[in-house]
Amino acid sequence: MAEKEPAKKAAKKTAGKKPAAKKKPAAKKTAGKKPTAKKQAKKPVAKKAAPAAGPGEQPVGAVMVVGGGIGGVQASLDLVEMGYRVYLVDSSPSIGGVMGQLDKTFPTNDCSMCILSPKLVEVGSNKNIELYMLTDVVGLQGEPGHFEVTLRVRPRYVDLEKCTGCGICSEHCRVKVKDPYNADLSRTPLIRVPFPQAVPGAAFIDPTKCLYLLRGKCGDCAEECPAGAVDYEDKERTEKVEVGSIIVSTGYKPFDAKKRAEYGYGVYDNVVTSLEFERILAANGPTSGHVVRRSDGEPVKKLAFIQCVGSRDSTAGNTYCSSVCCMYATKQSVIAKEHAREVQPTIFFIDMRTYGKGFEEYYQNAKNEKGVRYVRCLASYAKELQPTRNILVGYTDPDGSTVEEEFDMVVLCVGITPDAAGLAGVLGVGLNDHGFIASDDFLSVKSSREGVYVCGALEGPKDIPDSVIQASASAGLASSRLGVCRCELTEHVEYPPEKDVSGEEPRVGAVICRCGTNIGGVVDVPAVVDYAKTLPNVAFADERLYACSQDAQEWIREIIREHDLNRVMVASCTPRTHQPLFRETVRSAGLNKYLFEMANIREHCSWVHMDIPDDATEKAKMLCKMGIEKAALLEPLEEGVSQVIHNAMVIGGGGAGMVAALQLADAGFKTYLVEREPELGGQMRHIYATVEGADVQAYLGELESRVKGHPDIDLMLSSDIEDVDGYIGKFHTRVRTPKGPRELDHGVVIVATGGAEYVPPPGEYGRGSDERVITQVELEKLLAEDPGSLEDVRDVVMIQCVGSRNDEHPYCSKICCGVAIKNALAIKELNPGAAVNVCYRDLRTYGFKEDYYLKARDLGVNFIRFEKEDPPRVDISFGDPRVRVADQNIRGEEVVLNPDLVVLSTGVISNPGARELGPKLKVPLTSDGFFLEAHVKLRPVDFATDGIFLAGLAHYPKTITESLTQAAAAAARAESILAKENVVTEGVVARVDPNVCSGCKACIELCSYEAIEFDAAKGVAVVNRSLCKGCGACAAACPSGANRLLGFKPGQIIAQIKAACGSL
Amino acid sequence: MSELRFTYYPGCSQSGSAEEYGDSSEAVCQALGIELTELPDWSCCGASSAHMTNDVLSVALPGRDLAAAKRLGQDVLVVCAACYSRMKISQERILADEELAREVEAAIGADPRFAGKVRHLLDVMVNDIGLATLKEEVLLPLEGLKAVPYYGCLLVRPPEVCFCDSVENPTDLDRFMEALGVEVMPWSFKTDCCGGSLSLSRTDVVEKLVNKLFTRAEEAGANCIVAACPMCVANLEMRQRPGKLSFKINHPMPVLYFTELLALAMTLPGARKWLESHIIDPMPLMVQAKLMSV
Repeated sequence: MAEKEPAKKAAKKTAGKKPAAKKKPAAKKTAGKKPTAKKQAKKPVAKKAAPAAGPGEQPVGAVMVVGGGIGGVQASLDLVEMGYRVYLVDSSPSIGGVMGQLDKTFPTNDCSMCILSPKLVEVGSNKNIELYMLTDVVGLQGEPGHFEVTLRVRPRYVDLEKCTGCGICSEHCRVKVKDPYNADLSRTPLIRVPFPQAVPGAAFIDPTKCLYLLRGKCGDCAEECPAGAVDYEDKERTEKVEVGSIIVSTGYKPFDAKKRAEYGYGVYDNVVTSLEFERILAANGPTSGHVVRRSDGEPVKKLAFIQCVGSRDSTAGNTYCSSVCCMYATKQSVIAKEHAREVQPTIFFIDMRTYGKGFEEYYQNAKNEKGVRYVRCLASYAKELQPTRNILVGYTDPDGSTVEEEFDMVVLCVGITPDAAGLAGVLGVGLNDHGFIASDDFLSVKSSREGVYVCGALEGPKDIPDSVIQASASAGLASSRLGVCRCELTEHVEYPPEKDVSGEEPRVGAVICRCGTNIGGVVDVPAVVDYAKTLPNVAFADERLYACSQDAQEWIREIIREHDLNRVMVASCTPRTHQPLFRETVRSAGLNKYLFEMANIREHCSWVHMDIPDDATEKAKMLCKMGIEKAALLEPLEEGVSQVIHNAMVIGGGGAGMVAALQLADAGFKTYLVEREPELGGQMRHIYATVEGADVQAYLGELESRVKGHPDIDLMLSSDIEDVDGYIGKFHTRVRTPKGPRELDHGVVIVATGGAEYVPPPGEYGRGSDERVITQVELEKLLAEDPGSLEDVRDVVMIQCVGSRNDEHPYCSKICCGVAIKNALAIKELNPGAAVNVCYRDLRTYGFKEDYYLKARDLGVNFIRFEKEDPPRVDISFGDPRVRVADQNIRGEEVVLNPDLVVLSTGVISNPGARELGPKLKVPLTSDGFFLEAHVKLRPVDFATDGIFLAGLAHYPKTITESLTQAAAAAARAESILAKENVVTEGVVARVDPNVCSGCKACIELCSYEAIEFDAAKGVAVVNRSLCKGCGACAAACPSGANRLLGFKPGQIIAQIKAACGSL
Repeated sequence: MSELRFTYYPGCSQSGSAEEYGDSSEAVCQALGIELTELPDWSCCGASSAHMTNDVLSVALPGRDLAAAKRLGQDVLVVCAACYSRMKISQERILADEELAREVEAAIGADPRFAGKVRHLLDVMVNDIGLATLKEEVLLPLEGLKAVPYYGCLLVRPPEVCFCDSVENPTDLDRFMEALGVEVMPWSFKTDCCGGSLSLSRTDVVEKLVNKLFTRAEEAGANCIVAACPMCVANLEMRQRPGKLSFKINHPMPVLYFTELLALAMTLPGARKWLESHIIDPMPLMVQAKLMSV
């Protein structure tokens, strides 16, 4: 800690002022073996330097994650929960990736940064994640369990430990460059914190144009830095790190829109890429969220989106589909319209590929309710008109006429392109034909090299939920051979004993944060400090430039000791992101962590009142007073600790259930696997090959025999879940088995109950009236088991969207297009002369499946597009099937086909059993009967109820590979709980006073988490604190005042109200 | 001055409808020290008619000229965009496809495998002479001319054989004109089609396309269009409106060859004569811009 002294002193002495010393900056700590991340300073990791272990020896209990986007962040967080040390490497100065640049995310329209930032903070404050920023992987040696990775760490020129992220250096930087965070749409100083929420939140110098680094001139930033953090002598260094597994998640790069030169990107100002438009929409972007033109700043009315720029493009781009553009264009259209009602968005598209959970509904809503116009065509060109600088888009409309239409602005929906070749070479992993990391047929996170796993868009184009699923799955697989050394390299946080403050007079310490200029630029912070000092119970008050910085935490601990404080109030930003940090600080100083209160004088004050600084100062005083008054009344709270039962329960013995069970059992946890049917396999039994050609039945056989032979898997076939009690770490389930009922205790639940095939009622598309009308599943069986019966087939008609995208089942079943292509190719292989006509609505061969669509077209498979309102009509007249369909690809002309086989591509529906199981587990379902995860974007395998996880078709229709990968993710999430001895639950929970409770059950009805039960014997409500989320709904509803939310008791809240309004 | 020597292929138009283009091209070459030797006994390249009629013929016609060029040995210089396109494409195909080369050889009775370069004059100006040299040669900066560059199709397409820096947004002609002091107006219709040889068979189509070009050029604030293709210039000058008398001028915007502008900027004799020969009279503009007296 000694080496931190100078920084701290400097910061204290010069808070808000210029430093006294104006000498040339000299590096206090020369380059060399210096810690990269703040947390590293705390305790050197002795074990890291252990000599390389040979094969057969204990593996290394650490994992390297390369790439700090959402995938890498999720994998890192999962791994530390499982008990591993993580080295998180990113070539940028901070983590966050592309998700940090997005405005909103589909289909929930969540603010991207708001849901990402807490995860970034979690990574930044986790002691077992070591960050290597500005770092590239340059070498890899060793083998699974004992890898040695060589890293090249580029100089940051700013000492991470000293920098408080105050931003003073940026104000004095003389050179401005294009800001990559804003997609180059604005300019930013060379020395800067990459973006306000960056982790680490420290500045760095972009050396490309730095006057000092290039020519020894300037040096202003070092002179002005109050913390003395700027270090021009910083040098590049090489480090070697030992790890057991490696996860790569370095993402993608957007397609270079200049390659599609006919759209004039880079020539016309009002033609922008979708990533640029995302920044234009963002409130913290270059136009503060105003949808305006780049040429003149005028508001945009007519806005065009051109899809497939660089995707599905065999001339200038890539042949695959980028999977995400249809949805993001739809989202951007909807959000642009929300920002300015007069915006009229038009989307030019080829096929609308809204195949994910909630996507089709989002698209239909955008089209039918939000006024987004969709035009099916690939736009031919965009030209700039003079003098308006409007953009003229040329296209062929569905009627076949060529049209030119003027727009104020055009957004090019650029695809995802691989950026994997360099890293793949270093790591020795294979690439696929398109240049992405090649992955396993069934578990898409396995690379070609054992021990190296891949997640996110590096493996193939995909959206955030799929990246997050892969992230957890890769963490699970990375753990698979390291279980024996779990927790070997992780630091356990030791706290000093908690001080007993009962009976003490409150002594509140008030810390007022400037947040650089965020608060300090508006609110008169010294005046607020002076005011706080006058308030009762305040023993100490002072300000900080950034109360959240690492050195400020040390300072808070010091003032607690020095002034014998027993309560702390910080007036700064939002508790959502920063309360955990301050609670941690308070706890490490020996106080109960609930003796901390926060006042939000940024979001609630300086940001919204920046034009009226005097009033803002007064409001900040009031907010502080409220916080201080409440702080004085705070009581220490206890957190619940419950022991984890190290068993797992997997419900459903299909492919997903088996993969999850095997992964947990392999990790050493006893796993109960319950399957309703008398045999394992679920829907996987009906599938013979994937569209990519992998042998499904062979894999299924392998899974089955492994499950049946595994000593740690307790398999129950023909069995049913009777009921489930308990909570995370401690579930109790009764199972009805053929041998009688069983009672099982387990710590986690994985729901993998699968889905079902839609069964068309007799008469739908001629089903039931002729044996030549079959389903894809039946066709696939024939192709596999009796191909001879199909040899004479000369004409096959396939009909898509049977039981999907209609009023009864509004969602897209996602897999049917791929299945149809797969079987069409199989028929063509069997009998090249056979005609195959596929009647479809939108061909949704997302990602690399597009390759097979292209191949089918090359082989002469004919595609006929129909509209939902005008579906094909199948009749069996004169003994033979006849199909009439209005082909929208030829302006709705009716085509009459005389097939000898009609194949219905039936959709995936939810398992009817889900409606019984949901209530037993107290977890919700969607209106379509699929299970509803905790958060569609960032928690795709978790339920809102802790300790229960989700995988496979029970979640939503998906391919085998996607199901099995999600199963690996669910198992990994489950493992992160099973790996712990105890689970700790929040101190802020509701409590019912049994002496007051009248037993009215109002609270029980209200609780969304099923956390309150009725004790019939005593006639009172009882809160299960392990399930309680502390929302407070019950406490507010309690008519007798028996139910209290700890930390928000009436006396505490009334004290705040009085502080704000005086005695009423 | 440069040591540039070429076998010169004039092409038919340059001694007919586009005489001013041919003459001005030869004059500027001479002034810049580019030595031209006219290809002896040259014949028509086949233009757009041949390749719509017979594929082998469309290669054999330029093949005959390539065979003659092979005997001379020097690189070939072409000024007409259509001739340039036909010569380049034929050369590429002959050199890449031996069977075709033999067929052509049999048809013309000479070896058409010319391995030298086929160059367009604009390419030579921009990339060999260079813009810096051109700037030095300018005695009369062409201030007052606000031009839109018009490349048309064949200077830029197909991109595999053409010299321009971009197929969608070429800037060679733009930069050339800027070197002469011309103000180049931004517009997006540089490479739109003029209708080409539909001029005679589907006049209505050409009129529509030509009208659009003039309208867009006016919107861009231009007072002239500058081109490097005799077919484009002919269509622009003659096919402005439907009607029996195609010569009726509705858009009084002159259409000029880039070589004429260079000659004017270098104050070469003859510039006035060539400009006066245009259907759309550029003289009022030249007078207004104080580049010429009445």
